[in-house]
Amino acid sequence: MSTNHDMTAIPLPATVIELRKLSDDTTLFRLRLDDAIAARRLKVIPGQFVQLSVPAGGEVPISLAALPGEDGALELCVRRVGHVTALLHTLAPGAGVAIRGPYGNGFPVTDWRGKNVLLLAGGLGIAPLRSLLHFLLRHRSDFGEITLMYGAREPAAILFKEELSELSGRRDMHLFLTVDFVSEEPPGGLVCHTGLLPGLLSGVNFTTENTVAALCGPPALYRCVVEELQGFGFPADSIFLSLERRMKCGVGLCCHCAIGELFCCTDGPVFRYADLRGVEGAL
Amino acid sequence: MRKTITDESLRLLINSLIKEGTRVVAPKKAGAMTLYAPLAAGDELTLDSLPRRSAKEAFFPLCENILAYRKDKDGVKIKDIDPASFPETVLVGARPCDAAAPAILDAVFSWDYHDEFFLERRRKTTIVGLACTVADDACFCPAVGLSPSDTTGSDLFLTPLTGGGYACEAVTGKGEALLAGHSRLFEEREAVQPLPPAEPQQEKLDLARIKEWLDGHFEDPLWEEIASRCAGCGACAFLCPACHCFDIVDEGTEGKGVRRKNWDACGFSKFTNHASGHNPRDLQNKRYRNRIMHKFKYYHDKFGQTLCTGCGRCVRGCPVGIDIRAVLEKINERG
Repeated sequence: MSTNHDMTAIPLPATVIELRKLSDDTTLFRLRLDDAIAARRLKVIPGQFVQLSVPAGGEVPISLAALPGEDGALELCVRRVGHVTALLHTLAPGAGVAIRGPYGNGFPVTDWRGKNVLLLAGGLGIAPLRSLLHFLLRHRSDFGEITLMYGAREPAAILFKEELSELSGRRDMHLFLTVDFVSEEPPGGLVCHTGLLPGLLSGVNFTTENTVAALCGPPALYRCVVEELQGFGFPADSIFLSLERRMKCGVGLCCHCAIGELFCCTDGPVFRYADLRGVEGAL
Repeated sequence: MRKTITDESLRLLINSLIKEGTRVVAPKKAGAMTLYAPLAAGDELTLDSLPRRSAKEAFFPLCENILAYRKDKDGVKIKDIDPASFPETVLVGARPCDAAAPAILDAVFSWDYHDEFFLERRRKTTIVGLACTVADDACFCPAVGLSPSDTTGSDLFLTPLTGGGYACEAVTGKGEALLAGHSRLFEEREAVQPLPPAEPQQEKLDLARIKEWLDGHFEDPLWEEIASRCAGCGACAFLCPACHCFDIVDEGTEGKGVRRKNWDACGFSKFTNHASGHNPRDLQNKRYRNRIMHKFKYYHDKFGQTLCTGCGRCVRGCPVGIDIRAVLEKINERG
């Protein structure tokens, strides 16, 4: 049964402390759990998600876009697409919400020590990979080369522009950006390619030896990027995909996120490509 | 010597349980239908037909509150619902197809996360099963390895006798306790003559062969062929004793409301739909395929059991006449 601080059983109240508009339809929510003990105890693995709820709206599964900050704040990147996220976008700092989780396996970062990591993000897929990147940079000496490739629809849809600008100046990682089409200059002086993510992948140099790839993006992205990675010689057990499904319960019961006999919420959302190859309907 | 109970004493037993504060769930008339529902008195017991919906709602209600929230100037307050408050329950008159189902569902509700809403009701419920002496042309429990007199899942099992009344067999400790606690209502009889069990006209299906075909035919023209007429109404899932998927929805205002766990169906087009519009199961035949795969492959792979007890409700209830037996036979022919 639920204990007072077991967030996977019942949601805990939280308060919106800051909103940061990232694009026309996407906002970064910074939240703090009202229960300071629970906030302190919260352990997050990059790639995990939470169920965020708003009174009168209901719940929505959202990836944690960062590891909990020193102030205990949680960061969730929310795009306005459905009725719950639309309601979330009407909130102001101080608004009360609730969170349960974190759920899912997250990226197996401890297995990746000593390896190069290639992060491939398409659109909103940058959110879980941002928490992964934060983890890798926080433990920088544990990993080899770190490369982030991020594709967005157009320059205005690039999320976290200021952070990307900072990252582009770092010498301990590589950053490549691409947009599907250009109708304006990329902001903040960001260097940006034009074209789709698989094109970017074949157009720039990166290390494939002893490298794991972490991929998150819109559903259409997976097959073509995986194909491209395999062309570069990535073995299927070095490609990690964070999948999107309609998680409801988060604990492997309700069947909404079932992928064959796997549950995206408990077996995933991060899967090795090697484990998905035999699971039809997964990609 | 066999323990027996008369029909009248069975109703007295129900009255006595209700008086003790026990919730008694049993088939009762609900308008033109018979449903498993809490009884107010033994007189309401209606054992002449298979209830419209299965008995799973004694453990897993169609709709239940799982928490309440309230928001005021101090923020959001969340009130949990304590399963310890669930009443002791006796489920009377569960047919073998209904009595067997909750034990199958124990696996999913406890495999990782323990769903106390289900498990606490299971612990607190004694199942009094009832042998079937009549079957209709949709019944197919023998096809999936059960029978009209199968005691699987029952704690106490009643077999109708010639001339009225029931032979009573304690199957588990819970059943023995129920007998012992109300011994004056039961009789010991030397010779009893049970009514002959029902004989559903159904050959046993080769479930291993069916699963073997499913293992290799996620993509197959058969799915479109059998499911092209499925209307996606979800009736089969709502009538099924073993279907268990659910939705979580909030109902209320900004100020206060409840979170509910409601039955859902993988046949609904929005079941897997993302807010973005992407739908991993975008066509009805993919949704029907999931129904068959889950019942006869995935659940078996994961828990070693089949998610079907042959009650036939999906056959009777399907508005477009899809007969799961015909589907399984088609698969069997290909296997």
